[in-house]
Amino acid sequence: MTDKISQRRLRYGEFLSAVRVKQRRVSYKDVHADADAGRRPRRQRLRLVDLHRLLTPYVSIRFMEQLRAVVPLALFLALFQVAALRVDVYQSEQIAFGMLAVMLGLMLFMDGVKYGLMPFSENIGFNLPSRTTPAVVLGFAFLLGSIATLAEPAIGALRAAGGAVDPVRAPWLHLLLTRYPDRLVMAVGIGVGLAVLTGMLRFFFRWRMKTLVVATLLPCLALTAYAGFDPRLAPIIGLAWDCGAITTGPVTVPLVLALGIGVAAAAGQEDNPLAGFGIVTLASLFPAMAVILVAIGLVGEVPDPTALPAIVGAGDTAAWWDMTPAAELIAALRAIGPLIVLLWLVQRLFLGEAIKQRNLVIYGVVVAVLGMAVFNLGLSVGLIPLGNQAGATVPAAFSSGNGTAALYPYPVGIGLTLVFAATLGYGATIAEPALNAMGTTVENLTDGAFPRRLLIQTVAVGVALGIALGVSKIVFQWSILPLLLGVYTIALSCTLFSSEEYVSLAWDSAGVTTGPVTVPLVLALGLGLGQAVGAPDGFGILAMASVGPIISVLLVGFWIRRSTAIAAQQER
Amino acid sequence: MKQRDEIVVLTDAVLITCIVQRGVADTVVDAATEAGAQGATIFYARGTGVRQKHLGVLGITVNAEKEVIYIVAPSDHADHIFERVYVAAKLDTPGMGMIYMAELEKMATYVPPEVAARFGKHD
Repeated sequence: MTDKISQRRLRYGEFLSAVRVKQRRVSYKDVHADADAGRRPRRQRLRLVDLHRLLTPYVSIRFMEQLRAVVPLALFLALFQVAALRVDVYQSEQIAFGMLAVMLGLMLFMDGVKYGLMPFSENIGFNLPSRTTPAVVLGFAFLLGSIATLAEPAIGALRAAGGAVDPVRAPWLHLLLTRYPDRLVMAVGIGVGLAVLTGMLRFFFRWRMKTLVVATLLPCLALTAYAGFDPRLAPIIGLAWDCGAITTGPVTVPLVLALGIGVAAAAGQEDNPLAGFGIVTLASLFPAMAVILVAIGLVGEVPDPTALPAIVGAGDTAAWWDMTPAAELIAALRAIGPLIVLLWLVQRLFLGEAIKQRNLVIYGVVVAVLGMAVFNLGLSVGLIPLGNQAGATVPAAFSSGNGTAALYPYPVGIGLTLVFAATLGYGATIAEPALNAMGTTVENLTDGAFPRRLLIQTVAVGVALGIALGVSKIVFQWSILPLLLGVYTIALSCTLFSSEEYVSLAWDSAGVTTGPVTVPLVLALGLGLGQAVGAPDGFGILAMASVGPIISVLLVGFWIRRSTAIAAQQER
Repeated sequence: MKQRDEIVVLTDAVLITCIVQRGVADTVVDAATEAGAQGATIFYARGTGVRQKHLGVLGITVNAEKEVIYIVAPSDHADHIFERVYVAAKLDTPGMGMIYMAELEKMATYVPPEVAARFGKHD
């Protein structure tokens, strides 16, 4: 074939490399020798495009995670307000800015926790139980529980909630929230600390979850009943039970779980599939008791709160540390600082280990503090006003006030309000990433008998019904005591007849559902609603929202057991 | 006629290995396919690089979880694919990964009989 035309052979590869980008050949030996000679290359100057390539994917993944949790909720609230209530969102720019700050802050905070706190707690959790005495471990567990609670982002919402309480009808509640918020937060912290302590004891002595739940719940209910019959204490019950829901957030849970796994391993427990579960549960009962006890002390200490002089007005003489950026930063430092110091001290004193990758840890801490500050800012200008507004405008649907007629006939309006509350709870729960993770674990552990989607749906429906119940408590101004006693009696009796795994699972699902976005939103919603309908206080929704899933998961557990039993019978 | 006990062995093959952060493999495979690669094998790995040390705090943005992509290409196409992948995976940014290629002595896989019949002969 080559006889007619003379051909010149050219390798395609050579052709391409001649046509396209020039390749410069450098020997790796030379480059490596250059680096070896101790000539540390100067910090590379990054081009802008490099920064973009490095940062954009990193940031966008993390931001989208928060976006998916926050935006649907906020949009639902705003749309409901505009479409069903025909009221414009007041100060919508400020709220939008606040929501942005919430997302940004949460993103930074979670990343900071991941790099700054988790390496510590994992190391301590796995090594401490085997290297020291049980007493040290228990002491550490208590401190960790108490101090981690202070770092929980949602706890800031509690401090901000004080203003919305009627000082005349619930004087001691108002006093506790406005004058002694630190005492309240301390009580919650100590409650969680005790809960973590008890959880660790459970590992050592292999208590059954069922026994533990009954042993904790009975005194808790007894204390609540005692407070309920004292008119001075009664308004505080709602707050006390809400505190339990606030505490179990994205900081406490992973920290405590890491410790729990370490202790379980050191106690020589065989791999009980549900061993990790259980501690979270107690963390929502103990704080309720602690807060009621503090309230009892307060009532004894201050017999007549109205006689106290008004708080000397801050405001005119706002120092620089009360101004916006500084105040938030200081609050964030106060929240996270103690936790870091505790972890660092334990690491140095009991494990005698230097910190690995110190730069990374410092970066994590700085970012966590920064994120917390931004989140708190967003909380006060975005989430809380939005929830408050929604709560305050919702009653317009069924009651005529302020000279305007009710938008809808009474039954329709009430129905609309309850549907709104239920949808809010359902949507917020579905979006919770922690629940999704738990669902996958549960599906694996139960060999598919409890599918992931069934768990998520069950918990979400439980939360939805719980929130609806809590909202109706405020709207109809029911007393919270019979409500609490009623639902927890149901939960208790279901617990007694249920099997051990479902008890752990059900009681834990209550803690998993209340994330850092949902809690402030629901809390503010309740307070706004309470003010609008003239209820003495707007607490109690969160308490109902956490008991809802307990009951629903236990019931579904019964149903699954029954249907598998029937299936087994039919096979025989 | 091709016999049962015969293996068609291909020569002039080049292995391109590209190591990128987790999640970037699809970009690499797309670029390589467009540049003429017939297939790719991806596996997961972990690792850190020299460049990460120079990034300081920005090093956090570099995922230690990697994807390794194997592409076997005819030596004629290899340079082209190499270059396209380098650009698509943005390997000129520190921390993004690396690419290298090495000649293969031989490879074997399914070669359609009619194609095999047109080329090559027994040693």
